[in-house]
Amino acid sequence: MKQKKQKLLVVGNGMVGHYFIEQLCQQQMSQYYDIQVLGEEQIAAYDRVQLSKYFESGNANSLMLTSQAEYKKQGVNLHLGQKAMAIDTASKQVVTEQGRMSYDKLVLATGSYPFVPPIDGNDRADCLVYRTIDDLKAIEQSAKRSRSGVVVGGGLLGLEAANALKSLGVDTHVVEFAPQLMSVQLNDHGGELLKQKIEALGVGVHLNKATTAIIDGENARHRMIFSDGSFLETDMLVFSAGIRPQDSLARKAGIEVGERGGIVIDDNCQTSITDIFAIGECALWQQKIFGLVAPGYQMADVVVSQITADYLNNTPSQFKGADMSTKLKLLGVDVASIGESRGFEDAQYVELFDRQGGIYKKLWLDEAGEYLKGAVLVGNVDEYASLLNVYLAAEPLDAPAATLLLADNSEPISLKDNAIVCSCHQVTKSAICEQVQGGKQSLTEIKACTKAASGCGGCSAVVEQIIDEALTEQGIATEQGICCHFEHDRQGLFHLCQVEGIKDFNTLYRQHAKAGASTLALGCEICKPLAASIFATLENDYVLSEQHVALQDTNDAYLGNLQKDGSYSVVPRIAGGEITPDKLIAIGEIAKKFDLYTKITGGQRIDMFGAQLSELPQIWRQLIAAGFETGHAYGKSLRTVKSCVGDTWCRYGVQDSVSLAIALENRYKGLRAPHKIKMAVSGCTRECAEAQSKDIGVIASENGWNLYVCGNGGMRPRHGDLFATDLSTAQLVSYIDRILMFYSKTAGRLQRTSVWMESLSGGLEYLQSVIIDDELGLAVELETQMKKVVASYQCEWQTSLNDKHFLSRFDEFVNPQDAPAHSQSSYQYLREQKFPMQSEVQTFSAVTQSASRAGDITVSIIEEQEVIV
Amino acid sequence: MSWVTLCEEAALPSHRGIAAWASGKAIALFNLGEKGIFALDNIDPATGVSVLSRGLICEFDNQMYVSSPIHKQHYDLRTGQCLESAVLSVNCYEVKKLQGKILAKITSAPTSREQKSSHRGEG
Repeated sequence: MKQKKQKLLVVGNGMVGHYFIEQLCQQQMSQYYDIQVLGEEQIAAYDRVQLSKYFESGNANSLMLTSQAEYKKQGVNLHLGQKAMAIDTASKQVVTEQGRMSYDKLVLATGSYPFVPPIDGNDRADCLVYRTIDDLKAIEQSAKRSRSGVVVGGGLLGLEAANALKSLGVDTHVVEFAPQLMSVQLNDHGGELLKQKIEALGVGVHLNKATTAIIDGENARHRMIFSDGSFLETDMLVFSAGIRPQDSLARKAGIEVGERGGIVIDDNCQTSITDIFAIGECALWQQKIFGLVAPGYQMADVVVSQITADYLNNTPSQFKGADMSTKLKLLGVDVASIGESRGFEDAQYVELFDRQGGIYKKLWLDEAGEYLKGAVLVGNVDEYASLLNVYLAAEPLDAPAATLLLADNSEPISLKDNAIVCSCHQVTKSAICEQVQGGKQSLTEIKACTKAASGCGGCSAVVEQIIDEALTEQGIATEQGICCHFEHDRQGLFHLCQVEGIKDFNTLYRQHAKAGASTLALGCEICKPLAASIFATLENDYVLSEQHVALQDTNDAYLGNLQKDGSYSVVPRIAGGEITPDKLIAIGEIAKKFDLYTKITGGQRIDMFGAQLSELPQIWRQLIAAGFETGHAYGKSLRTVKSCVGDTWCRYGVQDSVSLAIALENRYKGLRAPHKIKMAVSGCTRECAEAQSKDIGVIASENGWNLYVCGNGGMRPRHGDLFATDLSTAQLVSYIDRILMFYSKTAGRLQRTSVWMESLSGGLEYLQSVIIDDELGLAVELETQMKKVVASYQCEWQTSLNDKHFLSRFDEFVNPQDAPAHSQSSYQYLREQKFPMQSEVQTFSAVTQSASRAGDITVSIIEEQEVIV
Repeated sequence: MSWVTLCEEAALPSHRGIAAWASGKAIALFNLGEKGIFALDNIDPATGVSVLSRGLICEFDNQMYVSSPIHKQHYDLRTGQCLESAVLSVNCYEVKKLQGKILAKITSAPTSREQKSSHRGEG
């Protein structure tokens, strides 16, 4: 006999309410329950934690966690824009504007609302709150008509809101009642450092300010009057002075609520009335409200276990409180707090305050100094994961507490089995290990089945480490193999291709894919581009030829650099940075004709952005007609050889650096390598070309050239090592030939020369012995290989344009006659150039305005970068 | 649902993706020879940009995926489900060859998915 389904009604579709539904559906509960969800907002659940991302993408899509259709598929009815007005506990019904819905079990996940302090004038226009996507839209609108903005509240959410205002280009201030920022999590020194860092970003911080009234301003829309008699004028206000549990529905229904709000729940997350549960920020457990998402998820898990117990024969779990440790980036400043982060009476402590480096760390220990009870980190949170592990393990420390802050972070953290690795989703180390034992091997798989690293993502490195350890324990080698299709590393594959003369992916896969690899022989985004790179180094074929085209990733695939809006950027080669006025004019005319955004790159050339795929051939036809060739900005290959002007003009130069740079760039252009290669030539020791930060750097001496190798700028700067001095030009070229080819042959996948150098056992001396003394007897082979590459150079764009079949690669549509033309409305225009519509082009009013305050503001100017690859 | 002609069979390039315009939206088409022809929405739901046809084809556990060129999320060519996120997916369409033409079975009315509004690649 078919049993009648029980009615389960969930009020609220925020993050916790949504998580609850997800868990229920995972347990297939829609076969036992008729599940209805009421959502007050017009849209389905979204990621409130990442709310400020709305301003980055310009829309809510990337924040969405689900949709009505998604729920429908799983047998859940989501009613959006429907507010629950009342609960009739006697008849077990919830009253909405549309009617009554009956329930057998009711879950309240009503969340919280922003607290607006009772200040005269708090309801004036442009006085807003920061909680929902609708609030953000209102803030965005208001910011458009505002020059200045104040956030009332210097807590975690207040600083998030300040970040949003700042990103909207408003002169931003934070007003806080307490004597410090983030007074819930940080202690005095931590708060003080955070204040300094935030002020350095151009955000005003006003502490100890109690606002008594908001009135008309003289120079701005509003004036805030403070209790100490001072005032601050601003065009807009955002209240973010804390949250209050949304408990009015429960309160009216006679369900017990706390004195200061919150629906009282027991360890089963049940309210004072049977069959009514409350979870998330609306719930009050042991007089505590949990304002983070992770504890809310734990409550949801508890309720799921309670209401599935009858069907699944499981033991219902209970809520036992939750850890409120947290790690975040606020306005670009790293902040973390663990446990009793503000200390307590008789606590021992270890404190590190590096004012120069802008780092503050404090550990709180129990009276006897044996247990870690709390920690606060500002400016650098590297130790967060290891400290949290120690704190949660709650075992006596086995070394002086100070060592926790002085530990070498490159050492892998050894975690206990019950340690919580992912605090967003409460995933333990043992849960991950179980999945690995069950056959899961990649981070992607672990993310999907355990949810670890799918929240804030901060733990993904640790999760990967655990996966590796667990695999090693099972005897599965992890170091070996570039991906799930090959058990060789890059060097091994390079060797196989060279020795066996393999020139296409199908042969490579057929002969060398690991046992059990799929017969589909498709490969993946790791092995395919890697194979393409090896073939290109060895054979230097046209990269989009029939047998290679499917191997090329994003940028190589279309000989352009893909940008965030799906358009491409175009970079012609300007060897050595030397360019004629006629060529400059040609670039200008072409950029103008195709309406391209232009920018000078760090590699002394010009990047043109915003080209549509199908425009690329026309743009290149004109560039080539003007005498240009491809700049390979899209390839893992030689980018540029930067130069200073050298002794032909410079009063100090001792050699002709520009001519050498041009010659080197023309020699190595088109060389495909494990990663991109940058070079520079300086004409004297003043080093204006910054050659020591390049993979290959040449500095002129009185007697010839000094060669520096394996330097790097960018994310991980490294000065190049002095490799050889006073070289003749012939010697120089022969050494560079050998070094580049040896690198291409032996480096790991996507390994820059700097990391490669550090991975060579024997380091610089070893490299010198291979290249200069020819210890391995490879010199002739390396030079011959390089000569082959140099001789077979082709401008890939010229090749593409010469062949109709190749050219069809750049057709956006297979049926262009049916497709609409690109509309310029996809772009906005600022500073007389175009930008993608979804991009927020900043004005940095804090920098450009009010010279009188310039002394208070630290502006860090980021060095120009070459195009993003 | 109705069958919509996308292009001549001879015009469809093999072993790589290309976009087709049909029923007011861009469809990503992948002709993988004997492994089949696959059609899915061209808009990458993770970013709202119309680019999936330009993604790399990958295989994991005998399932075929296209990897978005923007941030490398993988979408199953048969189901449209994203490998990395349970809430991201794209519509997939049945494809057939008929009298030298390639057809796909596409909902004629605009879909209700939210991504629709952020369509800006070809708009």
